[in-house]
Amino acid sequence: MSSEVSERVAEPMLVEDWERLTFRVNREAYRSPEIFARERVDVWLRTWLYLGHETEIPDVNDFKVRTIAGRPLIFCRDTEGQVRAWLNSCPHRGTVLCRENEGSQRRFQCFYHAWTFNNDGTVAAIPDDGAYEDIESLQKNMMLRAVPRLEIHEGYVFISFNPDVPPLLEHLGDAADYMTMIEQQHPSGVTTLPGVQLYSVRGNWKLAVENAMDGYHFSPTHNTFVGYLRESGFAVTDDNQYAYNLGNGHSLLVLTGHGGRISMIWEPRFGEAEKVRTEEHRAEMVERLGEERAHYIADESHILFVFPNLLLFDIEGLSIRQLEPVAPGHTDVRAWQLVPREEDPESRALRMKTVVSFVGPGGLATPDDIEAYEAVQRGIEATRGAGELDYSDMSRGMRDEVKGEQGRSIDEGAMRGFWRYWEEAVGGGLEVTGDRPASFLEGRDVR
Amino acid sequence: MTQADVRGSVEVAGRTITRGEIEDFLYEEADILDAWNYDAWLALFEEGARYEIPTTDYRGWSLHAGGSFVDDDYDLIQARVKRLKSRKAHAENPHSRTQRMVSNVRLFPGEEEGTLRIRASFVVHRARDGQFDQYVGWYEHVVVPTQEGLKYRLRRTILGHEALPVGARLSFIL
Ligand code: FES
Ligand SMILES: [Fe+2]
Repeated sequence: MSSEVSERVAEPMLVEDWERLTFRVNREAYRSPEIFARERVDVWLRTWLYLGHETEIPDVNDFKVRTIAGRPLIFCRDTEGQVRAWLNSCPHRGTVLCRENEGSQRRFQCFYHAWTFNNDGTVAAIPDDGAYEDIESLQKNMMLRAVPRLEIHEGYVFISFNPDVPPLLEHLGDAADYMTMIEQQHPSGVTTLPGVQLYSVRGNWKLAVENAMDGYHFSPTHNTFVGYLRESGFAVTDDNQYAYNLGNGHSLLVLTGHGGRISMIWEPRFGEAEKVRTEEHRAEMVERLGEERAHYIADESHILFVFPNLLLFDIEGLSIRQLEPVAPGHTDVRAWQLVPREEDPESRALRMKTVVSFVGPGGLATPDDIEAYEAVQRGIEATRGAGELDYSDMSRGMRDEVKGEQGRSIDEGAMRGFWRYWEEAVGGGLEVTGDRPASFLEGRDVR
Repeated sequence: MTQADVRGSVEVAGRTITRGEIEDFLYEEADILDAWNYDAWLALFEEGARYEIPTTDYRGWSLHAGGSFVDDDYDLIQARVKRLKSRKAHAENPHSRTQRMVSNVRLFPGEEEGTLRIRASFVVHRARDGQFDQYVGWYEHVVVPTQEGLKYRLRRTILGHEALPVGARLSFIL
């Protein structure tokens, strides 16, 4: 990052005013190539990134190819069972090493000059290596290039391109337990399934983050989906639902009025047989986890954002969403269903149908979210370069924040927390007017 | 007789269904969808029918052994139609302009009694928001001849893409 670059973007990025109770975000953050380049370095190459779930590569030698932070990677389980993340690039002259999207192999062979690598990264063969002076050091120097850091929490595999990043659990902080709560829903734990929704949106990645933390849009944007829920006998309410900043850029929406939860909160559209299974499962949870823990795991829907690229939807069913910024106005999205490893086939069918009916580009709700990111990305062209006008407003809930009241899911407090953390990383300026109220917890709420 | 001749017609429940009839059925549906006539589209389904679009990484797993883009039972098909007819289906308001091409139509006896299987290729061109997107793939439908003409038991769209390309969400019927 050079100071020349930052000077070209209008400042400040964020304007926080405790006299007028306003919080505004500079729209250049969504569209500037300079900011996008800075984000790459100051966020994507610096912090922990979600790579994938261990259950995507359940067996030794399984691999997936995946691009994270613009870098093509091989995500694999080596012959010893260890999870690895290699740069998908031949150490010889840089050719893409593995050109399959997924599979199972002990070795990766580069087609160009046939250098071959074991899936633990060691060199298996360099043809005609007698031409080199020191074969032993050549083999050592030409090992596959590993992503510097890899750690796993509850099956979620995170990587960092920054060798000096603090330990994963330190980064996850309060977000970690919400991941554990998902794992604890069922005695068998959860697993991803094949059938990944891969799609792209014409919008900045941060619009997707805001949207997930924005309960305010639910009723108007998802009008038709809310209507469908109502007709199926389920009332949707926004009352008594809250949004939390968990620190380190992570945030959480706790929803209790947005529809049933397969095997945890029954609703009429799930059918009578599922009602019985739900009651049995609850009894099992209480026995295994105790009344209180079972209550928090079962009776609340959670939408968890783990900065910067992971969204966990623990709602009607479970899904993982990964964001991969491609350009300021272009984001690749990948979404996996998470299911209990052991599940009644009827519940499974119900779960999958229900999740897909809501989330994903073919569902009854997500297309309207995508419409929103795309319409924002197009709409903000109208204020490009227009100074004061080129800011988006995220002030909802500041009035309550001053009083020390917890922000609601239909406020914008979780977004403000995200943006403050983002600005600390990427820069661009945070202008604060007036005194932050005593109740202001540095953007972090304690649940 | 060539293979093509063999598949030019299929016997179903004592009736001969020709490729011409199937082509007309698919062309008619394409017109209905391009004209945004969703009531007429719903009428092409028998009660209890399904509409499915597997994800682009689909490798033949059975339903619910993997995720999907669309996994609609008859209730959800109805809900989808109701939604698309609403002015509040924002992703399709204003509607996408679509132009559908259907070709390579083949028919096979169905696995279930009284059904036949259709395989056909499609290209759907979609214009919206100053963008032009293309969807390519094939159909693997199961249809039932009834007194009121052919009806879908299963309408299944398989995408030929490696991923849904940018802008190409499935907010309309593919
Ligand atoms: S570039 Fe891979 S072997 Fe030469
Ligand atoms: Fe939404």
